[in-house]
Amino acid sequence: MLIKRFTYLLMGLLCLSLSALAQKKEFKFGKIAPEEFKTVAFGQDSSASAVKLFDVGDCYFEYNDNNGFVYVFERHVRYKVINKNSYDLADFKISLYKGNSNYKEDLLRMDAATYNMEDGKMVITKLGRDSKFTEEFNKNYQIKKYTLGNVKEGSIIEYKYAIRSNYTFNLRGWSFQSDIPTLYSEYNVKIPEYLVYKPSYNGYYKVNQTKNEMVNAHYVSGITSTAKYMQYIMEKVPAIKKEPFITTMDDYITAVEFELMGTRYPNDIFRDYTGTWPKIIKGLADDENFGLFIKKNSAAKQLLPNIIKAEKDSLKIVGLIFDYVKNNIKWNDSYRMYSGETNPKSILDKKSGSSADINLVLISLLKEAKINVSPLLISTRENGQHPGHPQITKFNNVLAHVNVGGKDIILDATDNDHFLGMVSYENLNHQGFSVDLQSETGRWIATEPIFGDEKTYNYTLVLNNENKLKGTMLQYYKGYGALSLRNRYRANPSESEFIKGLKKDKQGLEIDTYKINNLNDLNEILSEEINVTIEDNVEEIGGNLYVNPLLYERTKSNFFKLENRLFPVDFAYPMKESIRSTITFPDNYEIEKLPKGGVYKLPDNKGSFSISYVTQDKTILVRSVIEINKALFAPEEYFDIKELFKVIVERQAEQIVFKKKS
Amino acid sequence: MLKRVYLAATLLLTAGAAWSQNIYDTTKIPDALKQDAVAVVRNEEKFYDYRGVGSGTMRYKVAITVLNKAGDTYAEFAEVYDKFSTLYNIKATLYDAFGKKIKDFKSSDFRDQSLASDYTIFQDDRIKLLNVVSLSYPYTLEYSYSKDFNGILTLPSWRSIMGYHISTEKSSYAFQKPSNLNVRLLTSKDLKTDSALVKDKMVYTWTASNLPAYTREPLSVGLDKLISWVKIAPNQFEFDSSKGDLSSWNSMGAWISKLNEQGDLLPAAKKTMVQSLIKDAKTEKEKIQILYNHLQQNTRYVSVQLGIGGFKPIIAEKVAQVNYGDCKALSNYMKALLKEAGIQSNLVVIGNGMPELNRIYSSIGQANHMILVVPSAKDTTFLECTSQNYPMGYIGYDNSDRNVLMVTENGGQIIRTPKYRSLENYQKSKTEIDLSDDGLAKINIKMSYANAQYEDNLGALLAEPSEYRKRVLNRLRFPDTELDQLKITQPDKHFPIVNEEIAFKTKNLLSKGGDKLFLIVNQVNRKDQVPEKITNRKTDFAIPFDYNDDDEIVYTLPKGFAVEFLPKDIKLVSEFGEYSASFSQQGNKITYKRSQTMTSKKFPPEKYSEYVDFYKKIVQADKSKAILNKI
Repeated sequence: MLIKRFTYLLMGLLCLSLSALAQKKEFKFGKIAPEEFKTVAFGQDSSASAVKLFDVGDCYFEYNDNNGFVYVFERHVRYKVINKNSYDLADFKISLYKGNSNYKEDLLRMDAATYNMEDGKMVITKLGRDSKFTEEFNKNYQIKKYTLGNVKEGSIIEYKYAIRSNYTFNLRGWSFQSDIPTLYSEYNVKIPEYLVYKPSYNGYYKVNQTKNEMVNAHYVSGITSTAKYMQYIMEKVPAIKKEPFITTMDDYITAVEFELMGTRYPNDIFRDYTGTWPKIIKGLADDENFGLFIKKNSAAKQLLPNIIKAEKDSLKIVGLIFDYVKNNIKWNDSYRMYSGETNPKSILDKKSGSSADINLVLISLLKEAKINVSPLLISTRENGQHPGHPQITKFNNVLAHVNVGGKDIILDATDNDHFLGMVSYENLNHQGFSVDLQSETGRWIATEPIFGDEKTYNYTLVLNNENKLKGTMLQYYKGYGALSLRNRYRANPSESEFIKGLKKDKQGLEIDTYKINNLNDLNEILSEEINVTIEDNVEEIGGNLYVNPLLYERTKSNFFKLENRLFPVDFAYPMKESIRSTITFPDNYEIEKLPKGGVYKLPDNKGSFSISYVTQDKTILVRSVIEINKALFAPEEYFDIKELFKVIVERQAEQIVFKKKS
Repeated sequence: MLKRVYLAATLLLTAGAAWSQNIYDTTKIPDALKQDAVAVVRNEEKFYDYRGVGSGTMRYKVAITVLNKAGDTYAEFAEVYDKFSTLYNIKATLYDAFGKKIKDFKSSDFRDQSLASDYTIFQDDRIKLLNVVSLSYPYTLEYSYSKDFNGILTLPSWRSIMGYHISTEKSSYAFQKPSNLNVRLLTSKDLKTDSALVKDKMVYTWTASNLPAYTREPLSVGLDKLISWVKIAPNQFEFDSSKGDLSSWNSMGAWISKLNEQGDLLPAAKKTMVQSLIKDAKTEKEKIQILYNHLQQNTRYVSVQLGIGGFKPIIAEKVAQVNYGDCKALSNYMKALLKEAGIQSNLVVIGNGMPELNRIYSSIGQANHMILVVPSAKDTTFLECTSQNYPMGYIGYDNSDRNVLMVTENGGQIIRTPKYRSLENYQKSKTEIDLSDDGLAKINIKMSYANAQYEDNLGALLAEPSEYRKRVLNRLRFPDTELDQLKITQPDKHFPIVNEEIAFKTKNLLSKGGDKLFLIVNQVNRKDQVPEKITNRKTDFAIPFDYNDDDEIVYTLPKGFAVEFLPKDIKLVSEFGEYSASFSQQGNKITYKRSQTMTSKKFPPEKYSEYVDFYKKIVQADKSKAILNKI
């Protein structure tokens, strides 16, 4: 669990405690106190468009002979609508899942109403019959939709509903926070003694647990039993607002989730499903869409001789198999942890599949080639951070973790343009869980990228008497820089359309010739050779000429202009950008003024910026280097990067001044 | 002639069987069709059998070769259906570059889901979807389906080219109808319509072949003038147990009017309320104002589209109970409120942000919205009833200046909505900038936006202050902005005008060059993007909207600073618009004035380079620098 702690510290999230002195409150549907109409938003959210007056949830179990234990989730929520921006609260949706068999979710009841104060009297508008809709979204989802009448500025609206679900592996989770402020949020969970769930807590604020005790419960008539009662109450929870450069807002919303760990039925032993990593891994090993899928080696046996041929070197074998999978199965843009098929052969025949289809085939082939390989379970950035303790449902993707000659390499074959060891952006969520299906053990490993986003721009330009710049731009791309250029290039209908896009936003740039090198050769450095003529980039004012030598690649605006920051800045990978611009100017020009060079470093080598100007005869050499050496910055480091980018924008904007000799 | 067309029609019905194995060999695609193309329509066959006023069947088959990754979006089957149409015989097959079959898709490969958009609470449309993924390029997807219509309002149209960056090797449309059932055709200028009478059926056929792809061009008004197309509209129709006549705008208006009969009655309590609301109002205008305010304060937009409900408003009595509705329901409700106040108004069918209604060709599908009009000899008032914010009479730029259908008891009538002219869509700013000798600039901007530009800033006006602050910080171009004051208001709710005041500090206004200081004089409204140059442009273009910007900046220089150089005044006049900038100095003050007025007229492609030149001069002028000296 070392990695977990490491990550948490790195993220700099302190998990602030709101008031722990929360008291349980009672609310009745339709019973609105007059003072609720006077509610105003509080604290930092004083201008919020609505306030969640309360949100109370109950999750408990019922037993029936057909389905065994099922859970019921009840929710009662009430809002005060302050202005029109929150009218959408009056449109409410509930998604219900149904599987192929009898497994499904049912809406047991729904009550909703709008309350308005009119001439000192409360007027009630109940949810009308024709304001309820059922949308059969697809074969698995039904969406119940409701819209409330008579909603105006100042209205109070409330919903109270209950859902019964057969899907007991995960219970309905609870978010204590949303994009409007919450006055009171309470969640009660009662779990029969026969079932064991583990809660995971998440978010910027600490979830406040107010009860954790055993209570009496009745599930089957005539049998008394007990249940574990957990209660959480939070009061005055501020609204949460999105910030740029983060993984997902879900990482910061204060919430609790539950996953089934095991069962302890009468006359039975404790059955551990996911209580420990070994249990989870055993489950994976026996899953026909995971472990058993990998084990089916007929396709691998047949293909390997042609892929590996006489190669003996393990690392080279890994490379050959990786290339084969990349080039023969196309990703369908979906992240999955389980294959949709039960045999690698089906995927190889289809030639397309999800991330799990592709990477599990890769693992199957590598295994057959006697490479030390393990599936690496990932929760993608969009899916949020894994809580760290044994929990299977928080993972949503799988990669291949290879160990060759004592060296760990992570493979992701979903993109043809991935280098060996490169994983797609969504997987850069700092950690993954590597599972050994044989020994049924696993461990967290860091998934920090071994590639950065590296770009080098070399300009060799001649300034002529008509104030045009003419010459070449040689541009080199490595790591994620190369991946993104390849993706951009391939997304265009043709090279001419790509060039059009390249010229866009670059005033005065004429591209005389364009050549991209090593587009399809990942072993060589991706580069562009562009012959250019640049107009309108030299300004003549009062007999002086002004040129910005960094031209189009200078950083024009500070991404970090906002005054403060609550959440870490997560770039996903480090970044390096070098511009080297050599400008030769005409004999009759003289340098009037050269900007000053300088070096700016963040503490602990977290990042730096340097710029220098050198002249020799009629040539100026300018070098600018930006380095962001780590992917993740804690909120308290925000001002460091804000300042660094401010300096970059200011210094890269400086111009060289020439004087014309008469 | 007749025989040939007949043959074509039969061929369409039996197509497929005759197609040989390698007809989708991509090596046989002519180079001209690959130029600028991401995909090629190899063969498209559309056949529609219009059997009667309420029923028809479409048979469709297409093969599309995808040439590269950018063309993957065309490797998709996506067909919409609803209660009034059935999809069947769906087939799809993937072929490799040589036309060899790779796989047939099973019906389980197709997804079926509801098609509810973000802004609609409920609508009964559904979609069948299949996305095809292929590892190598080129590849060909062939698919076909049949679709039965049970209830008809519209008939399928046809275009010879599907869009930008896709060429057509062959495409055809055959439309068959009983000879005694009339339809109206609208075709592109030079399109030839083949027609043939086969027994008691009339068959029209249109074909296209070997049409190269068009590239997307900036500010384009679209391909309609360059490609072939046909639109077909029924005269009589039956749909969801409603019958009507679409043969003219007048008859279509009559149908809509009839759908709405008795729909504008109010409950007694609401009538009393209307009377009490307007009891002190003197003029008709005041009454409209009071009732429109009432509507805005008490209702919200909720969209529910079900069958004929897509055309028929929810009755006013119902809206009076729940106070929500879609554009039709809210317009109709407002009509009922006005009626109670003794003011006659009419529903208006309008294409919001779409090309305007074609005066001479009536059909469903040219409109997507409904507003209300209170006609008056001198002072007609249009009301956008879905907006909770627009001042009375303001209907939004996307509703303005177009032919619309006014629904009256005597049928429909084409009228025109008001135009918001350039000078009415203004931005006016006055800025004071105090420079101090340490380089710090204190900037105070006062802006005013009207009409279309009011709409642009409405979001900021309504946003939470903290959110608005973020927007402003991101909008200001300095890396070190320090905000002092921020205010955005609508000074008078009766006018579409927003005022904004921003005060901030920066050290990045002046740049140093030697012992001199440079100042880009236009610090408020700088255009820095020249539209992309295009050689051999093909499509007409238009600036998206008419507007006028008037900006003034007064700089106060610190003691010890002198102006060494001021840019010269500039005036540019063109058919696209006008621009001027002036620079003057009085003592320690520099005054800068800038004015830009643009028109949204359409221009032919050959004018485009002139437009680019005009814009380039504006961009240059907006960068003009002054030089300051320390004395």
